[in-house]
Amino acid sequence: MDFVVQLTINSIIAGSIYTLMALGFNLTYGATKFFNLAHGVMATIAGYTVFYFSSQPLYISIPAGIFAAGLVGYVLDRTIYSPLRKRKASNMVLLVASLGVFTALESLIALKFSSQHQSLPEIFASVPTFNLFGGSFTAIHLLIVASAAVCALGLHALLKYTLFGKAINAVSDDEEVSKIVGINTNRLMGQVFFVGSAIAGVAGILVGFDTVIIPIMGMPLLLKGIIAAIIGGLGSLWGGVLGAFLLGFVENFGIWHISGEWKDVIAFGLLILFLIFRPQGILKKS
Amino acid sequence: MQKNLLETQHVSVQYGGVNALDDVSVVIGEGEIVALMGPNGAGKSTVIKSMFGLAPIASGEVLLHGEPYVPIPHNIVHKSVSYVPQGRRVFTHLSVEENLEIGGYIVKDKSLVKDRIAAAYDLFPDLKAKRDKYSGTLSGGQQQMLAIARGLMTDPKVLLLDEPSLGLAPKIVKEVFELVSKINEERHTAILIVEHNLQSLLPIAHRAYVLDHGKVIIEGDAQKVASGDILERIFMGTYKPTH
Repeated sequence: MDFVVQLTINSIIAGSIYTLMALGFNLTYGATKFFNLAHGVMATIAGYTVFYFSSQPLYISIPAGIFAAGLVGYVLDRTIYSPLRKRKASNMVLLVASLGVFTALESLIALKFSSQHQSLPEIFASVPTFNLFGGSFTAIHLLIVASAAVCALGLHALLKYTLFGKAINAVSDDEEVSKIVGINTNRLMGQVFFVGSAIAGVAGILVGFDTVIIPIMGMPLLLKGIIAAIIGGLGSLWGGVLGAFLLGFVENFGIWHISGEWKDVIAFGLLILFLIFRPQGILKKS
Repeated sequence: MQKNLLETQHVSVQYGGVNALDDVSVVIGEGEIVALMGPNGAGKSTVIKSMFGLAPIASGEVLLHGEPYVPIPHNIVHKSVSYVPQGRRVFTHLSVEENLEIGGYIVKDKSLVKDRIAAAYDLFPDLKAKRDKYSGTLSGGQQQMLAIARGLMTDPKVLLLDEPSLGLAPKIVKEVFELVSKINEERHTAILIVEHNLQSLLPIAHRAYVLDHGKVIIEGDAQKVASGDILERIFMGTYKPTH
């Protein structure tokens, strides 16, 4: 019984991290309709920014990390993706460009900070551990779950109740008509990249506090975020959340009686099943 | 004297080396309804797109209030020009009211947006009843009404309407053209309409242009254009240009 509780807790924590990755990925995908693979490295950038500002108090280094991820996302859109879009580059070209960006930034981080893992400063003086029905979790885990909830609800409110959010929905729906009603879609997409990348930054920082940071941390986070987004329904905010938690649960309960190394096999197996039997994801209509 | 609000002057548009428009000059004057007619592929929609910066102009220019203007889609709407594209194209994942809000995206005064939404509901009562419904769930006619209402949210001086009757039942088409006429009369909005449905369009239009193969074949008073047999010959494909 305790084991089931612990697996449930682990699933929720994993689902929360995947939620953070899927939220930003879905947001940028919805507006631009291309797979931005550089999204993963935004988590790395945020984690390493916090590490770089280790001597500063956390109330400075954490916002700096989130802002740095957002800013890099914005600059990438302005300098690479936006000119490509203006030249009517296909989504495949944009995807390849984003893969190039991912690899280049990851390498730069490794050059600057070494390819070894690093630890972020302690977020709590002594990490409190909580027990619930025989399962345990730390305060950082609680922070991960709370952050995912705040980001999901915050993004929902942004999209539903602000003109900026409605404009994002409009661009997702029909970019040309969005221009016709006066939306500067290029500028809006830059802002979307800022928000989406900043949310990925939150994921990177929290993973860093929970475990360690390492230059190659972006790819596994990206892949899980993409799987969550696809199985939930590409471009759908709550679909991504649902996909993230489904992935978290399937992954963690899937390895109940087998080695943890099977986790990725299970995750990608789930993705393949969805691609074959429900390619539109859980929340998208066929 | 009637002022020219928006015009193309000797505009040519090419897509991949093929002429879509060839030396086309079309004028929309203050408060008038201008019909733009012609068979499929004549270049009617391209005229509107060239005015809105959505078609690549190879030569010629667009004039706004008589001055040369390089149209950029998200900017020209600030100059009191609105465009309702073909095929309705409402934002299907937004509600009716959200579509109208987005229609007023460039309007800084949000109380003005609210007033205009109320005015849109007065003009299109069907939309009021469905204000919270996703626009993708509306009927074709209601979506067309919404697209026009969205185009009116900036209170434009010029409204460009591309095939507003496309795919609609005859009864709805009649309603759409009555509304177009009402908008023109009550708001003095100049309207350029691209349309196949000549029977509905010509009685309300003041002037007309007929295009064929990217060229203006005839222009002038709508009733005079309607009275000859040239329209029939163009649509039947038996018209032979003399130049």
